Amino acid sequence: MTQLFRKDFGFLFRLGVLGVFATAMVAVFLWRAVMAYPAGVNEPLEQPVPFSHKHHVTDEGIDCRYCHSSVETSAFAGMPPLSTCMTCHSQLFTDQPALAPLISAFQSDVSLRWQRVHDLPDFVYFNHSIHIAKGVGCASCHGQVDQMPLTWRVAPLTMQWCLDCHRSPEQYLRPRDQVFNLRWQAKDQRALGAQLLLTYHIDKRRLTECSVCHR
Amino acid sequence: MPSVNPAGAFDPEAARARLAEARGPIFWRSLEELIDSEGFHRWLSEHHPRLAETFDIDRRGFLKFLGASVALAGLSGCGRPPQRQIVPYVHAPVGQVDGLPRFFASTLIREGYAQGVLVESRMGRPTKIEGNPQHPASLGATDIFAQAAVLQLWDPDRSQGVLYRGDAASWDDFAAALAESNARFDRDGGAGLRLLTGAITSPTLSAQLDALLRKYPQAHWHVHQAAGNDNAASGTKLAFGMPLSTRLNLNRAQVIVALDADFLSDPAAGVRYARDFVGRRSPESASATMNRLYVVESTPSLTGAAADHRLPLESGQIEHFTLQLAKRLGLAVDVRDGVLQQTQWLDALAADLQGNRGVSLIVVGATQPPWMHALGHALNFALGNVGVTIDYSEPVEKLPGDNGTLTDLTTAMGAGLVDTLLVLDANPAYDAPVDLQFAAALKQVPHLLHLGLYCDETGAMAEWHLPLAHQLEAWSDARAYDGSVSISQPLIAPLYEGRSTHEVLAALLGDEVSEGHALVRRQWQQQLPDDAAWDTALQTGVIADTALAVRTVALRADALVHTAPNAAEMNPLELLFRPDPTIGDGRWANNGWLQELPKPLTQLTWDNAVLISPLLAAQHQLVNGDLIELRVGQRTLQVPVWLMPGQAPRSLTLHLGYGRRRAGHVGDGQGFDAYALRSASALWTAPDVQLRKTGQRYELAGTQQHFNMEGRDLLRVGTLADYRHDPHFATASDRYPGTPPSLYPEYPPGEYAWGMSIDLNACIGCKACTIACQAENNIPVVGKDQVRRGREMHWIRVDRYYEGQAENPRIHAQPVPCMMCEHAPCELVCPVDATVHDSEGLNVQVYNRCVGTRFCSNNCPYKVRRFNFLQYVDDSIETLKAQRNPEVTVRRRGVMEKCTYCIQRIETAHIEADKASSRIQDGEVLTACQAVCPTQAIRFGDIADARSEVAQAKASPRNYVMLSELNTRPRTSYLARLRNPNPALPDI
Repeated sequence: MTQLFRKDFGFLFRLGVLGVFATAMVAVFLWRAVMAYPAGVNEPLEQPVPFSHKHHVTDEGIDCRYCHSSVETSAFAGMPPLSTCMTCHSQLFTDQPALAPLISAFQSDVSLRWQRVHDLPDFVYFNHSIHIAKGVGCASCHGQVDQMPLTWRVAPLTMQWCLDCHRSPEQYLRPRDQVFNLRWQAKDQRALGAQLLLTYHIDKRRLTECSVCHR
Repeated sequence: MPSVNPAGAFDPEAARARLAEARGPIFWRSLEELIDSEGFHRWLSEHHPRLAETFDIDRRGFLKFLGASVALAGLSGCGRPPQRQIVPYVHAPVGQVDGLPRFFASTLIREGYAQGVLVESRMGRPTKIEGNPQHPASLGATDIFAQAAVLQLWDPDRSQGVLYRGDAASWDDFAAALAESNARFDRDGGAGLRLLTGAITSPTLSAQLDALLRKYPQAHWHVHQAAGNDNAASGTKLAFGMPLSTRLNLNRAQVIVALDADFLSDPAAGVRYARDFVGRRSPESASATMNRLYVVESTPSLTGAAADHRLPLESGQIEHFTLQLAKRLGLAVDVRDGVLQQTQWLDALAADLQGNRGVSLIVVGATQPPWMHALGHALNFALGNVGVTIDYSEPVEKLPGDNGTLTDLTTAMGAGLVDTLLVLDANPAYDAPVDLQFAAALKQVPHLLHLGLYCDETGAMAEWHLPLAHQLEAWSDARAYDGSVSISQPLIAPLYEGRSTHEVLAALLGDEVSEGHALVRRQWQQQLPDDAAWDTALQTGVIADTALAVRTVALRADALVHTAPNAAEMNPLELLFRPDPTIGDGRWANNGWLQELPKPLTQLTWDNAVLISPLLAAQHQLVNGDLIELRVGQRTLQVPVWLMPGQAPRSLTLHLGYGRRRAGHVGDGQGFDAYALRSASALWTAPDVQLRKTGQRYELAGTQQHFNMEGRDLLRVGTLADYRHDPHFATASDRYPGTPPSLYPEYPPGEYAWGMSIDLNACIGCKACTIACQAENNIPVVGKDQVRRGREMHWIRVDRYYEGQAENPRIHAQPVPCMMCEHAPCELVCPVDATVHDSEGLNVQVYNRCVGTRFCSNNCPYKVRRFNFLQYVDDSIETLKAQRNPEVTVRRRGVMEKCTYCIQRIETAHIEADKASSRIQDGEVLTACQAVCPTQAIRFGDIADARSEVAQAKASPRNYVMLSELNTRPRTSYLARLRNPNPALPDI
């Protein structure tokens, strides 16, 4: 009776399996590279005006809500209308070349097009105001914006990342009066978080339900 | 494709036999189902297995497709997310919080009459219409047309610029041309100038017309409304010597008789009338006893479906019926005996009316001749109803002077008397009676000016076509059915170059004020002198104390002298013309939502058909979809047949509004042009029509068989007597009463337990819920071909059931949204957990997880899930994107979707309550279907809170759930329908 398999079949089989595995790996890496956000984490984006949060927040001490005015009331934090910029820049640095696009946009009534740094898929309904009300600080998601000369993303904004906090928000909660303080650090986050969960009536069971973010 | 004859011709004997052997009520949705033939089941399984048809393919081809699918499958997922931009305002609008909707009170005008609405504006885009609770014609609800108005605004087919003989021009060109003709009018007093408009109630427009006719005394103004209510005005003239407006107080009426009158679909006040009518039908309310509605009509209407007793009679027979009734009530009328067999009906009806003097009401429909209206007024006087259930006031509409009809205009045009014709928002080239030869006469007019939303049939013939600003883009005002004035304020600057009628008339007048806001403001300068009063009027949506006073009137002595009944002998066959239930007289033909909305009662979409009675169909061996030729005089029209249970045997009904030639991409070429048979002398009824079978077939897209529930006990109906005998009659037939035990685990209770109750006793089947849901939830339009395959996407459908004999069945409606089962069969079969339960009892659908296996849909016993078989959502037309609700995901191809109880509204309320650490109050979350419902049949809220409205509704003994034997424990439950038949009449 002839052999059913060749002698080197075992080797070829292993090679084949390895080949399939390698192809799959390459495919996964390729896919991840293609599907990645246009700008990665910690990569600043070029903007029409090189707006520096570092300068406005740290040097000038402007509150987040001066520009992002609907952050406490709406899903959208709000992008300031150019008239907000012009409250100062109609007087200050008007001759700086970097500000020229702003001035001309304001005068021509055709707005600037800022590149989005934080973007979520359209089936995700993130709401800023409820996070603020429940004691999630700006810095928890946006990082040390006060140290950014150009703005970049510090978080992957994946569902896994969202769920990390939605499963155990006590890791990140802070008192409401410290939400806009970008430098605040808890002394004992575990104890504080547990206490704030109660104070702010946060129902952890509901936070991981699909309908909270998807509709 | 050769069409399949559904079940052979309708056999009345078979139907009777089936009903005779039945025990208990039998509900049926189509005649094929009623006779329950073998052919029907075969046809049903062939046509609606909820599967796409399979196509022939050999093994080799199959493998090729398989390989290609696998290879290409990955590609569709490739592509990185786009780098998107944020474009901030230069100057932020005052009072706007980015991302939050704002609501503005405004007015939508339907056939001249005001409907008060609240328009939702999202970042400056009008996206959804709600009713204005403070407006008398709305009380918070709207009809289907108000809901669809927002799609009309964003319709890319709207006229976008001025056209001069079909070529692009500008408003400046038009102004130059107008200056020339104005100089001529100044010299000759406007001789040769004619205006044509639809019905007008707007005080601003009335004042402008008066000013124009003063300035140019030789000019003439004509009114043309294809489906207007001229007969009613002429009727009051006959009865009282002057035209008056009639106002029904249905909330005070105990016995109502509708003579060919569909008051629940009244263009001016249908929404309000529905609320008032249903308000007196609740058996639970202690204050009022349940009213009783008798309807005598030739073709089934919403009002007929709501009737306790319905009598199908040919249009001419209704006249005899009314005369007989008048005689029995003691009026001096000339009656021919022996014409009618319905003596038992007449006696019982007369007795019931006599017994309810002062709280009864006779309503005569717009399609009946003026003398019938006069007779109706006389009857109401005789019964002491005037001042109680019916009121009169000065006419709400502005009425043209003598010679103000379309016929007069045509005569003048034929005589060469018309030099300049300005058509304001009307389309006579399409909807004029055919015998006027209006389009031919138009060609003799040297200067035809047309202001319209679309460059339609009339616009195409015009020298100057001017784009009209949409109602949501312009300032205006209008009166409601009771005369209350409300202001129409723009929600958005005109998308295109549109201008309002006021602005165009101001230009014609040479008014120094030219801009819409200033024109309307000037009109109300006296009543609303300061800005505060003006702002209040805008915010409430009604100008206070503008309702027209009720007038005391006296019946003229010769009111009934004009009575001239038709000859007693029957018309062989009569053809009735009626406005289409969803596209009206044709002006809504380019609206996809309205085209695809299954028409109440027929459940047809995208087409009209001639409605014939099953008996007539059996005589002529006709089945649904057979093409027949109708002949009226010398004119013929080929049109498909639709069998209409409850249709008077010798009446044929044809709906107006179809067969448009220049409606736009959506409406062009759909259906059949009924105007081709309509003559000026027989606007509503062509007395002698012949029909001939052509032997050809036409594919109609009806939805009455879709989502068939195989004859299960889904609808519970009883009489008031049944209810008094056993209030729990609705659940008496449940196989397992109460809540049986279940193998599935209970979910732990959440903070709220959302639930819905639908009162079938209040539902009139108007389908406003379906279209409100479509507007709120970004539900796509799929087109006629897809509807025929059973793929319409409506999340809440309204099933229509018949009960009893096909000649005159009872008609019921049942809205079916998602049942939100506590033990949901769909959840168990989803392989990817795309449909899951949440702690508040919602059965949520997660679109981004769905891979489209459709297992859930197959396992849903209620057939409420909808699948995107193709890419239905239009993702290329920019204006349509602007209409969509940003709070709801736009679903793509391959994704299952269904009713969510408007989860976006729940979440919004949830977030607001959570921010304040408070609870959502009862009534804070209104689903779209609940908010729009004219009769408040739908209630929604937290069923765990015993004080909530929905919990109280569910506590009613009439409460039942569909398919309780499956133990799915639906959160959506129904309240059984009740009828209040007269014991003196056989209850058929």
